[in-house]
Amino acid sequence: MQRQYAVAFGAVLTAACLIAAPAQAFTPDRTIEFMVHSGPGAGNDIFARAVQGLLEKTKLAPQSIQVVNKTGGGGLVAMSYLNEKKSESNLLAVFTSVWFVNPQIRKKAKVTMQDLTPIARLILEPSVMTVRADKPWKTAKDFFDAAKANPGKLKQSGGSLSGRDNTTRHLLMKASGAEWQFISMKSGGERVAALLGGHVDMYIMEPAEAIEQIRAGKVRVLATLMKKRIPSLPNVPTITEQGYDIPEVPQARGFVGPPGMTPDVKSYYVGLFTKLHASPEWKGFVKENLYEDGFLTGQELDKFVNEYTQQMRSILKEAGIKLVR
Amino acid sequence: MEILANLMHGFAVALEPMNLLWCFIGVFFGTVVGILPGLGPSATVALLLPLTMQMNPTGGIIMLAGIYYGAKYGGSTTSILLNVPGESASVVTCLDGFEMAKNGRAGPALGIAAISSFVAGTVGVVLLMLVAPPVAEFALRFGPPEYFALMALGLSMVVLLAGKSMIKALISMFVGLWLATIGIDMFTDGERYTFDYIELMDGVNFVVVAIGTFAIGEVLANLVSTTGGQMFEVPKGLRNLMPNWQDLKDSRFAFVNGSLIGFFVGVLPGAGSTIASFVSYGVEKAVSKHPEKFGTGVIEGVAAPEAANNSETGGALVPLLTLGIPGSATTAILLAALIIWGMRPGPLLIQDHPEMFWGLVASMYIGNVMLLVLNLPLVPVFAQILRLPAYVLYPLILGVSMIGVYSVDQRLFDCWLVGFLGLLGYLMRKIEYPPAPLILGLVLGDLMENAVRQSLMMSKGDVSILYSRPLAAVMLVLTVLVLIGPMFRRVDIWRLRAAEQDV
Repeated sequence: MQRQYAVAFGAVLTAACLIAAPAQAFTPDRTIEFMVHSGPGAGNDIFARAVQGLLEKTKLAPQSIQVVNKTGGGGLVAMSYLNEKKSESNLLAVFTSVWFVNPQIRKKAKVTMQDLTPIARLILEPSVMTVRADKPWKTAKDFFDAAKANPGKLKQSGGSLSGRDNTTRHLLMKASGAEWQFISMKSGGERVAALLGGHVDMYIMEPAEAIEQIRAGKVRVLATLMKKRIPSLPNVPTITEQGYDIPEVPQARGFVGPPGMTPDVKSYYVGLFTKLHASPEWKGFVKENLYEDGFLTGQELDKFVNEYTQQMRSILKEAGIKLVR
Repeated sequence: MEILANLMHGFAVALEPMNLLWCFIGVFFGTVVGILPGLGPSATVALLLPLTMQMNPTGGIIMLAGIYYGAKYGGSTTSILLNVPGESASVVTCLDGFEMAKNGRAGPALGIAAISSFVAGTVGVVLLMLVAPPVAEFALRFGPPEYFALMALGLSMVVLLAGKSMIKALISMFVGLWLATIGIDMFTDGERYTFDYIELMDGVNFVVVAIGTFAIGEVLANLVSTTGGQMFEVPKGLRNLMPNWQDLKDSRFAFVNGSLIGFFVGVLPGAGSTIASFVSYGVEKAVSKHPEKFGTGVIEGVAAPEAANNSETGGALVPLLTLGIPGSATTAILLAALIIWGMRPGPLLIQDHPEMFWGLVASMYIGNVMLLVLNLPLVPVFAQILRLPAYVLYPLILGVSMIGVYSVDQRLFDCWLVGFLGLLGYLMRKIEYPPAPLILGLVLGDLMENAVRQSLMMSKGDVSILYSRPLAAVMLVLTVLVLIGPMFRRVDIWRLRAAEQDV
């Protein structure tokens, strides 16, 4: 009996090796598609095209890469499309926080990040709290005090209610006890213009954008909304340093594959992004944009996916957004 | 003088053989993309963005900008020939452009579109070069209440787009306003009129509605009445295929009006060339000596919106280059490109990278000339399309429409939707409801609703914010003038008639 088991075991092992051996050598045999859930010009579309350009520049991509825009339903169309392409080996999608938020706030969003195959998290986009330079406020506390002294008078521009600007606002309001208005605006351009034009009092910006406005003397940064100070803004204290303990809500961007991706295909793409991440071109790109290097793969990434989902859930709950499941 | 020296330096940069080549590639691609309906400049610029990472930044921005303003040139082609608006800003061009084609004047219409694009494109660059920083500062004074007033002014153009019946035009506009509300509401994250279709959650795409109500509606209406054979007269001889002196003279004011309105609307983030084209058409009609002829194929009706559409590009580059603020999808990609090349767009961009800015400005002068040279010879060629008999032409229009609609978002759903909207367009024609106000309502509805809700959030519900700020007040007064204008004009017509009868 035992011998039989041993033989069977051996056979299975050989078979496994036979399957695994050619599989290890997976390389894409046709155009790789990077799917993006928004139209051309949106943040994640530009990110996808930058990654495409860098993969081509570093000659890491064995095949040509094409960015495909699958818009609709604020990301739902793209998510369900990816979900339908089970074990497809030439299709990846760019994920952003929307991919974590949607399943929690939209009934029709049945696909979660856990259903898909996360490949790599590449960057974190930090954020800073900015006001126009002619305002008297120098610290986050000054702003909160002003908001308390003028209830409902101060305003912040931002995107949709479930977006980062508004969730961060709720966290700040809870930590400080102050309250201010939130004015939704469609495009990033309108939001910055509203701040510079003095129509709103505060806006949460990305550092790359803020630094140029600071250099021109147009805005002032009150606080960094991350746990650590941002290297390019060494003199700006974090919000935690200023005595307000809020979780950081960075925008995370990375790549995710369809469900049921075979381990060899997955490990190929993990390898591809690992090589890209190690290249000087990539380092330059992250530095130029003042991103935070958020490289994660494997189990650490899976852990992040679960934790981030939970974190977004509690933030959304605190922000008063209706959860559907 | 300093500007002149800078410009000379810019021309030195732009005339380098490689940069000249990139400029040509950009405007050539732009023209092709502009002619194809659906595929807009933003998609093309995005497509070529990865390629430019390996290029010299000045060459890169010259090429990408070339696509941007080049696409504006070609957009009018299908509007005039097939009544298929190639991009959102070309809807207005359909109104008189397609009528001109029906009257056998497709050549002059296409020609004036190219010429007016050239004139306005160049004016846009001149203004970008001369007044960018102060205009950008001025544009910042536009907050939500000012946007509301601007949209109200835009919406008041409905009285100028109305045909025989004002009531019908208003109903058509309200249908457009309703269409604008479909989708996820930005302020509450709730869904409106989506009927559980995921595809409707981002709203109804403007191009789909425009192609449906204009192109498909027109084809259906003609299918019912047509006898087959060749539909349109196309006169022989090159002379009849180009605008003549009279056409140019008639379009003089349209060039100026379109160029200025296009540029200033372009500077405002989030407003865009569609609004610019509607407003300049309205202004052109309002000041015209023969407003009643608009919509029957007058050359100014093509020249004004095309001018506005093209000088808008110069305007849209103002906030991008002087403040680091992108006003549209295309300028957002240009912004990303600048960051990727390590340029750090912001208020100091021009100061830090004068060679890039002046090289770009100079290349835009050159590019506009290239576009004129590229487009004018195509006019007689394109005009021949209308020689096709109805049984070829109509399927062609339907085919081009479907491809255009599909290429916007690559969704089959939109092809069904465009069919449905085509039926709507057909019905509207049957019962004599003009489709243009519907488009106007759709374009402005969304922006206007956002602006009014933002304003009221700012004031905590106090309505006076909408009219108490000086800029907004001025625009609202203009709106009222536009609205009551026709009443006085009607009195004039009565007076004239009375006078005639007396004689």
